[in-house]
Amino acid sequence: MRLKAQSFFLILLLPALGILLLFIALPISQSIWLSLHRVIIGLPGLGELFIGLSNYRELFQDPVARHSFWVTLFFVTVTTFFELLIGLFLALLINLRFPGRGALRACVLIPWAIPTVVAAQMWRFLFNDSYGLINYMLFGGNSTSYIPWLALPNTALAAIITADIWKTSSFAALLILAGLQIIPEELNQAAAVDGAGTWRRFKHITLPLIRPALLVALLFRTIDAFRVFDLAFVMTQGGPADGTNVLQLYGYRKLFVEGLMGYGSAISVVIFIIILFLAVLYVHLAGRRLMEARI
Amino acid sequence: MRICRKLCSVILTLAAALILFMALQSEAAVTEVITFLTWKPNQPEVWEELIDDFHSRNPDIRVKIQVGPHSSTEYHAIVTQRLKNRDTSVDVFFMDVVWPAEFASAGWALDLSSFFDIHERVVFLKGPIDANTYKGGIYGVPCYVASGLLFYRRDLLEKYCLKPPETWDEMLAQGRKVLAGENDPGLRIYSGQFKQYEGLVCNMLEFVWSNGGEILNSASGHVNLTDNKVVDAVAFVRDRIIGSAAPLGVINYEEPESLDIFLQGKVIFHRNWPYAWAVSNNPQRSALSGKVGVGPLPAFKGNRTASTLGGWQFGISRWSNKKESAITFVRFMTSYDSQKKLALEAGLAPARQDVYRDDEVRQKMPHLADFLPAFQNARPRPVSPVYPMISQELQRFFSRGIVDPEADIHELAIRSAGSIKRFLRLGEALEP
Repeated sequence: MRLKAQSFFLILLLPALGILLLFIALPISQSIWLSLHRVIIGLPGLGELFIGLSNYRELFQDPVARHSFWVTLFFVTVTTFFELLIGLFLALLINLRFPGRGALRACVLIPWAIPTVVAAQMWRFLFNDSYGLINYMLFGGNSTSYIPWLALPNTALAAIITADIWKTSSFAALLILAGLQIIPEELNQAAAVDGAGTWRRFKHITLPLIRPALLVALLFRTIDAFRVFDLAFVMTQGGPADGTNVLQLYGYRKLFVEGLMGYGSAISVVIFIIILFLAVLYVHLAGRRLMEARI
Repeated sequence: MRICRKLCSVILTLAAALILFMALQSEAAVTEVITFLTWKPNQPEVWEELIDDFHSRNPDIRVKIQVGPHSSTEYHAIVTQRLKNRDTSVDVFFMDVVWPAEFASAGWALDLSSFFDIHERVVFLKGPIDANTYKGGIYGVPCYVASGLLFYRRDLLEKYCLKPPETWDEMLAQGRKVLAGENDPGLRIYSGQFKQYEGLVCNMLEFVWSNGGEILNSASGHVNLTDNKVVDAVAFVRDRIIGSAAPLGVINYEEPESLDIFLQGKVIFHRNWPYAWAVSNNPQRSALSGKVGVGPLPAFKGNRTASTLGGWQFGISRWSNKKESAITFVRFMTSYDSQKKLALEAGLAPARQDVYRDDEVRQKMPHLADFLPAFQNARPRPVSPVYPMISQELQRFFSRGIVDPEADIHELAIRSAGSIKRFLRLGEALEP
């Protein structure tokens, strides 16, 4: 009887498993297979030559790829840090009781609801060197001191980071807000009765209790930031001087613009491995924290 | 009873659907639908009129237009994906002037030699015909041409009694003279396209060529990127153009942004394609209507002016199973009358030389006569099946070279030349 029920459960799981295999396992293994071959769209006459790990060997020696990796890593670190910080601040704000809270909560989510491509286009205009609002706010009508933000590698990267922080801080806020809402009101009240100030209550009650939520936000933001593509694609096309050439954009260029299917796939696989590693690490950490929080 | 009525209505509906389906089938048998893959043109209504005209002349063919991305690079990605997959649903495609070698070598574009013979080819400008020729075959029929031109503020130059500059140094000197006289802190000398994209290659090659340099020798296949003439031209752009003659912002400019600052009267000289002429003389879009002059780009002293060849062609897919209709369509679109219409109404410079001698065209577009020498002398970007890879590497080289004032351009050239040689070897591996 029991065995029968179990096999019935397994049968029920099959469709989900089939979908996972078809849409996740299959494309990933296809990418891995491609990354071990030399396949070039524009040169079909070359065929599909198996070249083992040559693409990876070349990738690790490719100075442009290495540069892209550091650019991406810098982007991920800075955006994730600020997004969590601002997200925490926003979450604390919209968790307070005050008139108009519902409307404010909705407003906080607006940047996140705007499609990234649209947001990127908007930031491109804001950062424009001759008619951008940011220059106007900083320098007014004095157009001679306007800064061409998107024309220098460092400021262009900063511009993309700013756009990303603006866009996704609210997502972090939403996750942290969920964590805040499960904190029982009584805990804070009791601590207040015991004479704990706002800072001490935050440090000893709020922060430990929202740690799991913070970790989940960290996980999502890091992984998402590693996959950044659209902001750089719309705002700078990876330039100037490869200053914003994030890994995904580099991989896309190799795959679809240059048609180097093998080499481009190798880049995708490396990004996949980095993200997988991060996900496993965070889930491991978050899992433990979640347990501790419950105890 | 009720069930019976329901059944009846179902049967009737099915019958009607069947009749409709058969009717559509029979219509499909008389008209052949061909698909034309392109991007959204600036004047879509002119193209629609042309295609309507084609339909009325060829009632047995319908042309279905599929619109891809506006950026040449992104559009290329779409076209190559579909041709690579031997997609039979594409019959005719619009092709940038740098693609025929790749499309021919990959076996995607149909060799049109038997329909587009030598006598027909001589009617067209030589540059685009050469660009469509690969190893003796011809893989595209040119639709319109473009090349880099120097636009300038005729009013300002006349005010200071200056003639259009012939050398880059002369242009800078004239610019300084105008700046000193005008005393306008917002005015700069030059604008062009220096973002890290295909347009950067076009702009920079013009500096390189007009300094006597070249990237790739078409005869020997030798990569000359490390040549002093190339390095010096890049250094000139970095030290004398970017951030001094041109605002620093040009590093992130494509055609529209660089044209905008010219139209706003913020620069004296501007490099662009021929379409900028119509825009700058359109009073609704420009404050400079009637005040703009145009001519060949300057050169370095002792060298000849050079401009990059641009423009688009029609190619026919080798996987198409409606090649006859596709050829009829391409023939129509590149006919004298169609090219004349595209010139007069969409402002596109004809690829056919005979249209330049047309009375109506000469009368309504007198500037085309001034453009003609530039089109005749325009130089192609490196012709190679691996051009997309060469272009990405050149974009990287030029962008790094002009952005960082500390960069060792020669060092960058050595690295990029190495990559380009590797790509070329890949292409050569195909040779028998």
